[in-house]
Amino acid sequence: MSELFSSPFFGISLSIVAFLIGVRIRRRTGLELCNPLLIAIVLVSAVLLVCRIPYEAYDQGGAVINMFLAPATACLAVSIYTRIQLLRENWLPILVGCTVGSLTSMGSIYGLCRLFRLDQTIMVSLLPKSVTTPIAISVSQSLGGIQAITVVAVIITGILGSILAPLLVKVFRISDPVAAGLAIGACSHAVGTSKALELGETEGAMSGLAIGVCGILTVLFSLLIAP
Amino acid sequence: MKIIIQIAIIFSICWVSQIIEALLPIAFPASVIAMVLLLLLLSGVLRVDHIREKSDFLLSNMAFFFIPAGVSVINYFDVLASALLPLLVICVVSTVLTFAVTAYAVRLTRRLMDRRKS
Repeated sequence: MSELFSSPFFGISLSIVAFLIGVRIRRRTGLELCNPLLIAIVLVSAVLLVCRIPYEAYDQGGAVINMFLAPATACLAVSIYTRIQLLRENWLPILVGCTVGSLTSMGSIYGLCRLFRLDQTIMVSLLPKSVTTPIAISVSQSLGGIQAITVVAVIITGILGSILAPLLVKVFRISDPVAAGLAIGACSHAVGTSKALELGETEGAMSGLAIGVCGILTVLFSLLIAP
Repeated sequence: MKIIIQIAIIFSICWVSQIIEALLPIAFPASVIAMVLLLLLLSGVLRVDHIREKSDFLLSNMAFFFIPAGVSVINYFDVLASALLPLLVICVVSTVLTFAVTAYAVRLTRRLMDRRKS
């Protein structure tokens, strides 16, 4: 029986169906909380646990999907390149904002993990959680973190960012669209960027640029603390 | 044929990045090297049209590719359960803090730039 589930086709099909259900639910409800990726992870995990299918069997297909992570990350270059003019015109605020943002994110996570006495493995898994998933996974891996915890933290952060963004813009009285966009991108990567696009074109473009720039900066800063 | 060439371009960039990663003395992730490499190529020899369909496919389905990494969380339920509350607090606090500090830093920079101009 278990050999049937060890086919890569099983894991891939299950993932696609779960993701499609997630996308459907998101469209129906329109709620940020119904993130398609989060729903897909919960559904696949539930199927594996209920049917007692070992993770290793699912991962035959999972490994194939995982292979696309590096090419997908590489293609973030395309989304930066299409906004290269905007990057050239605003390079200083972008550089300052993303540097300060990445350091604040990593610093606050470090401090809070110390405060809650979480162990080193969890701390390094959370450290890159404000950047986009593919880069966060790479950073977490090279620091010796647990990828799964990083992915979950990145998604939770993204959802929080997209829910809170309109509120935060008002509370902190950010009238400058460049500042608002960079701030949203720096704290909640691609999930937040979809919200930033709803706030305005400049906000969306700046948020999109912040994803790539914060990603590269976070990798550089993580090198300083790498073991 | 078009798609297969695009796959070849992107996959070979990824492969070259893995070689660079292995040669580098520091732990710089190959996927990020690939991103920087592709950005350099786009500013030089490569045009977005050369890889448009493949990169659209990868970028618009980005979230899908993280499902297996996320599902592996079932192997770490105990770790996650033991730190769930602090984890949520950390996510909320660091998100709000990062937003505020970034927004103010950008605003300050832009004001200083305006003052210099005038």
